[in-house]
Amino acid sequence: MSFSTFVTDKAGLQKLYEAIISKYETYAPVEKFGKYDYKKVSSLKECDPDSPIAMTMSVKPLFFPRSSKIMKYEANSAGTSIRETDQDPLAGQRVILGVKHCDARGLQVLEAVNKWDYIDSDFLKRRANTVILSNRCDKADTHCFCTSLDYDVENLDAPDVAIVNGTNGKIYVQARTEKGETFLKENSSEPMANRITNDELQMTNCEEDLTKQYEAFLSSFRLKMDYKDVNERMAKRFDSPAFEEASRNCVSCNTCAFICPTCHCFKISDEKIKDTGVRYKSYDSCNNVYFTLEAGGHNPRPAKYRRWRQRSMHKFVYYKERFGVNLCVGCGHCAISCPVNISIFEVVNHVASAPIES
Amino acid sequence: MESLLVPSLAKVDRIIQETPDVRTYRLKFKDDSLMDKFTWQPGQFVEFSLMGSGECTFCISSSATRRGFFDCSIKRAGVVTADIHSDIEEGDDVGIRGPYGNWFPLDDIKGKNLLFVGGGIGLAPLRSLIQYAIDNRGDYKDFTVLYGARTSADLCYKEEIEEWKKNTSLKVVLTIDKPEDSWKENVGVVPKILEEVVKPEIANTKVITCGPPIMIKYTLQSLDRLGFDPKDVITTLEMKMQCGLGKCGRCNIGSTYICKDGPVFTYEQLKALPDEF
Repeated sequence: MSFSTFVTDKAGLQKLYEAIISKYETYAPVEKFGKYDYKKVSSLKECDPDSPIAMTMSVKPLFFPRSSKIMKYEANSAGTSIRETDQDPLAGQRVILGVKHCDARGLQVLEAVNKWDYIDSDFLKRRANTVILSNRCDKADTHCFCTSLDYDVENLDAPDVAIVNGTNGKIYVQARTEKGETFLKENSSEPMANRITNDELQMTNCEEDLTKQYEAFLSSFRLKMDYKDVNERMAKRFDSPAFEEASRNCVSCNTCAFICPTCHCFKISDEKIKDTGVRYKSYDSCNNVYFTLEAGGHNPRPAKYRRWRQRSMHKFVYYKERFGVNLCVGCGHCAISCPVNISIFEVVNHVASAPIES
Repeated sequence: MESLLVPSLAKVDRIIQETPDVRTYRLKFKDDSLMDKFTWQPGQFVEFSLMGSGECTFCISSSATRRGFFDCSIKRAGVVTADIHSDIEEGDDVGIRGPYGNWFPLDDIKGKNLLFVGGGIGLAPLRSLIQYAIDNRGDYKDFTVLYGARTSADLCYKEEIEEWKKNTSLKVVLTIDKPEDSWKENVGVVPKILEEVVKPEIANTKVITCGPPIMIKYTLQSLDRLGFDPKDVITTLEMKMQCGLGKCGRCNIGSTYICKDGPVFTYEQLKALPDEF
């Protein structure tokens, strides 16, 4: 199915954003100390949908909260009673502006595990009730490698609407899903009315414009990887000492997992004061030394290299085997935020190029 | 997702002190209609929670052929199990989610000789299948239970084992690691007794084994030596788990989720997993 493309300029796009913010519950990148996080906004002045790549956090927490309440309970000598929490997995529609393509892809990747067998209906409902407007970057950051992975960054259908800059101040607003198409039709204001159909793409030379822009974007990448080759090579290097070398500096702080658009490990924990308690589901990480610690003291992954082996193999081998996609979108945020400059790109490349142990 | 993680309340009907550090908790859902509907297959597990302490994974150690209750046999090992032992009394409420995981391959073992090899608390998941097989005794040929523990005090289910011994259609072989004054049965580690005393028939026999890692390691070697096909050796794995739903990312070995694809595996399947543990 083909979707509409609108051509506009900066003023037109701003008008669209303003219309959205005034009408919907809207989230967008908000700057704090030079970095950006997705926050609820009530005017365009508060946020920057065209923010630079450096985000403090991915869009993940808006779909998979950092910590959520599973239940509340009362437990005393008279017995136990459980109350499900009143947490609403999002009833109304909301819009997120300024999502990076890698970040939107992260949600697509997470859908696989959340749809598998037991269904995480909260995650799926949050996604279904959200319209995502993404900005395709013009230029790669130091740690970006999205274009090297198993998805088409240019034609990605993870956002509902993609916004791509053209030449001479032109901005293309493209519906990428049916939801995005409907949303644009309902919300395109007057400066946005310049709609281009697919037949007209060539006529207006917009395709050429987009191709030119994409080529410029591609050439800005410092990091490149052949992910198929990496998938195959990683699978053969389970016993490689290269994991030890690559993970030596890790301080097991878990920042990489919390910030990652695709990491989804969580823990279940209880907090009880006197008779009243709450059970939480919160982020956890396989880099955490306690992650696999068993009762009685046995820990199958006591060493850092074993935890890094799990982390990198899960991203580039296990998830691919199980669900057909890499559990990494090449956003590079883990590398930007790592206190000791470990990059998943460098780890997997180091392991993939190590000799195979006989 | 969160709603899938909310447990149902069950009442502790009876607590049986099996060994100095193992207790069996007989549980009944507080909601009678839930108890009537609740069923499981031998080998499946539940998430058991003590409010305020947390959740733990335990196999159901009784068979659904015995209705109206289910058992969890719990060894005091870590933080939550210590709280369970010290805080839970008969009549108390606990939270239960499940049943989860796969189960022993009931179709594959039909019409075969069954040889159970258990060590210590490892008899708990086997007991579910032993009870199931006793209740469907006609479906199986020879039926042998080899069970060992460090000392005679560490043998679980002592009363039930006495009943098994009286049942002429089963053969029960017990062993402890070191001699004790009043002990009249075998002395020696499980793999040794397996090879020297049980001397099992290989053809048409399915071996179901569970026990501490060191026992499993040497038992699998013994079974190899005796000539068993790895396809005919079935075991159940224990891993740190939390959600039981294939989501929390804790129990995987390679791309295999122990909570969903397991916990029951044949030795042949185990050999194909990455050697992580």
